Amino acid sequence: MSDRSQLIETGQPFNFDAQRDAEFERLIKRYPSRESMILPALWLVQEQEGWISAEAMAYVADRIGTFASKVYEVATFYTMYHLQPKGKYHICVCRTLSCYLLGKQEIVDYIIEHLDVRPGEVRADGLYSFEEVECLGHCGSAPVVQINGEFYENMTVEKLEELLATLQ
Amino acid sequence: MAEKVKLFVNGQEVEVESGKNLIDAIGAIGIEIPHLCYHPALGADGNCRLCLVGIEDGRPPLVPACKTRVAEGMKVQLDTGKIKKIQQDIMEFELINHPIDCPVCDQAGECKLQDYYMRYDAQPSRMTVKQVLKSKKLDFGCGVVHDQERCVLCARCVRFTRLITKTGELGIVNRTDYARVEIFPGRPLNNRYALNVVDLCPVGAMTSQDFRFKQRVWFLTKSPSICHGCSKGCNIFIDHNREKYKDDIIYRFRPRHNEKVNGYFMCDDGRMTYKLENDNRLLGAMIDKRETGFNEAVEAVRRELSQAAKTVILVSPNASLEQMYALQQFAGTINAQVSGFSDGYIKNGDGDDFLIQDDKSANRATFHLLGIDDTRAGFDTAVAGADLLLSFDNDLSLSLPQTDLDQLLGQVKLITVGSRQNDFVTKASIKLPVASFSEDSGSIINCDGRLQRYDAAVIKNEPMPSMIAAINMLGGGIVSHQEAREGLQANVPKLKDIDLDQVPGDGIALTENEVAHVAA
Ligand code: SF4
Ligand code: SF4
Ligand code: FES
Ligand code: FES
Repeated sequence: MSDRSQLIETGQPFNFDAQRDAEFERLIKRYPSRESMILPALWLVQEQEGWISAEAMAYVADRIGTFASKVYEVATFYTMYHLQPKGKYHICVCRTLSCYLLGKQEIVDYIIEHLDVRPGEVRADGLYSFEEVECLGHCGSAPVVQINGEFYENMTVEKLEELLATLQ
Repeated sequence: MAEKVKLFVNGQEVEVESGKNLIDAIGAIGIEIPHLCYHPALGADGNCRLCLVGIEDGRPPLVPACKTRVAEGMKVQLDTGKIKKIQQDIMEFELINHPIDCPVCDQAGECKLQDYYMRYDAQPSRMTVKQVLKSKKLDFGCGVVHDQERCVLCARCVRFTRLITKTGELGIVNRTDYARVEIFPGRPLNNRYALNVVDLCPVGAMTSQDFRFKQRVWFLTKSPSICHGCSKGCNIFIDHNREKYKDDIIYRFRPRHNEKVNGYFMCDDGRMTYKLENDNRLLGAMIDKRETGFNEAVEAVRRELSQAAKTVILVSPNASLEQMYALQQFAGTINAQVSGFSDGYIKNGDGDDFLIQDDKSANRATFHLLGIDDTRAGFDTAVAGADLLLSFDNDLSLSLPQTDLDQLLGQVKLITVGSRQNDFVTKASIKLPVASFSEDSGSIINCDGRLQRYDAAVIKNEPMPSMIAAINMLGGGIVSHQEAREGLQANVPKLKDIDLDQVPGDGIALTENEVAHVAA
């Protein structure tokens, strides 16, 4: 986990496209409290844009009728929300207990050194982005790495090297 | 009288008020349960875990005291080894990343973390890893400066903006070591009560731009008083200090708890009115722009009074009940008319449905109680044909348009008796300085008809006479507050059962509608 509080402003107002707009309206009926829509609404933003800007958060807050600060809390709490455009390959390394004890740090160090990207950053050429995240729910096969949503279990530096070679 | 329940604390039987949580109920009889996140006005959040206690009745071995209501026969354990260990562990946890530089922290001396460390932990640090550094001195708007690294994430400030002002500017972003209080980019604090987060913050993470680093709090004398910023009359502490070779200076106003008036809070504008007590004060008597002794000026006023064909006395709506009474009596003896005209003190539409009132004066309700006319029409009638206007701290330039004022001042001689300088006072031919409310005692009635009392807080190196003393020197019959209070009790039917010397700390409701529904 890194400091995720630095939001990016695009300078453009955000709006849902017609499809997400319809989806938002469909979903909001499901929840007795409108605030529960913060998570799904942020998903919709991410689906549409690939990431979530400051303007999009403010939009979601206004649309739901809640404080922008609440949306900000939620978006910065959950690492599945991308607060900047991702790299072509988005690498998440779990840093929570099981993964920690079984060597996540070596993997993290390897990524920093060999891929030249630090947690919370996107490499300048846009190929990789990297995030240390909280428990991914695969503790039984720790340490785990997630790349573009796919899980890679019982990870080691060697295995990661092989895996990365297949990605380029 | 609230209902009582009996329970046992550390095996000892005690009686406390029912319906409250353990922290408040047991706290009221002097037994402290340490807590950081709970605040009576913000409710229980249960995030700090410092208030965990044991209850021997088959419920989980530990419960947060902030979320547990007292019940008859409850057996509460606060002093077992296990509880003490928890308190120590939580303190250690809070202090992992907290900078241990109390000597340079603005909150030192009124910091919960500091107090609790001394009381419940007192262990040397075992931390060998580097502390997580966070940002310092963030401008959150409204004069609030946030120091992220001191924050213990109790969320009191966050809850204040969501529950009380309903503006929700603050949030806790990120998680784990990176969690911090933030404003949404470009949306800083923007409400008229924002500075309350400084009082609410149990540590030095929220500071007031205006106050920070001006004084160490243990040098401040904290005197109870009443805010004069509007007709709500919020209860306050006047924090002041007389440094060696200097005068007694007020450094801040802070809200003082009174459930019947302002709860735990006050507005930011009211908070800043402390400056009026320090600055722009009228410090010496003047006759025609020439400084004179007080007695000489008094003589000059008496001469004017004896020569005037028609005198009008203008009272400030901030004058106390006692002062107004003394003035009324004085007016009777010199055959003058009394007006409380002060429309300019009312800012229509400025009030809200929380504390702030349209009427920016503290005691207009007393005009109505004592029958002092405060209408423009009444004033116009009074000054028609008058040649002397004696104003007691009423800034008429707020209420009269410039041309009307000029015209009036062409017709009457103006004499002012008051505590501060302003454009209107400058126009007076004789000025008499008197003590301001922070240096005097008195009673005022707020917009809800609540009678409250305040006592002198600040003692200046060269104290000004009280307004009542000044009135007495000018020829008024009343010599002291004491006498004014006796007179009020004897002559004002609504006060006949009230001993003004014994008004309780939270005031007395004057029930009559006439007083309660003053025009605001
Ligand atoms: S700034 Fe103060 S009040 Fe706000 S969460 Fe931090 S410690 Fe609590
Ligand atoms: S609401 Fe009125 S009385 Fe209360 S603090 Fe503000 S100005 Fe003072
Ligand atoms: S600790 Fe890494 S998956 Fe749970
Ligand atoms: S006061 Fe009870 S958990 Fe913080």
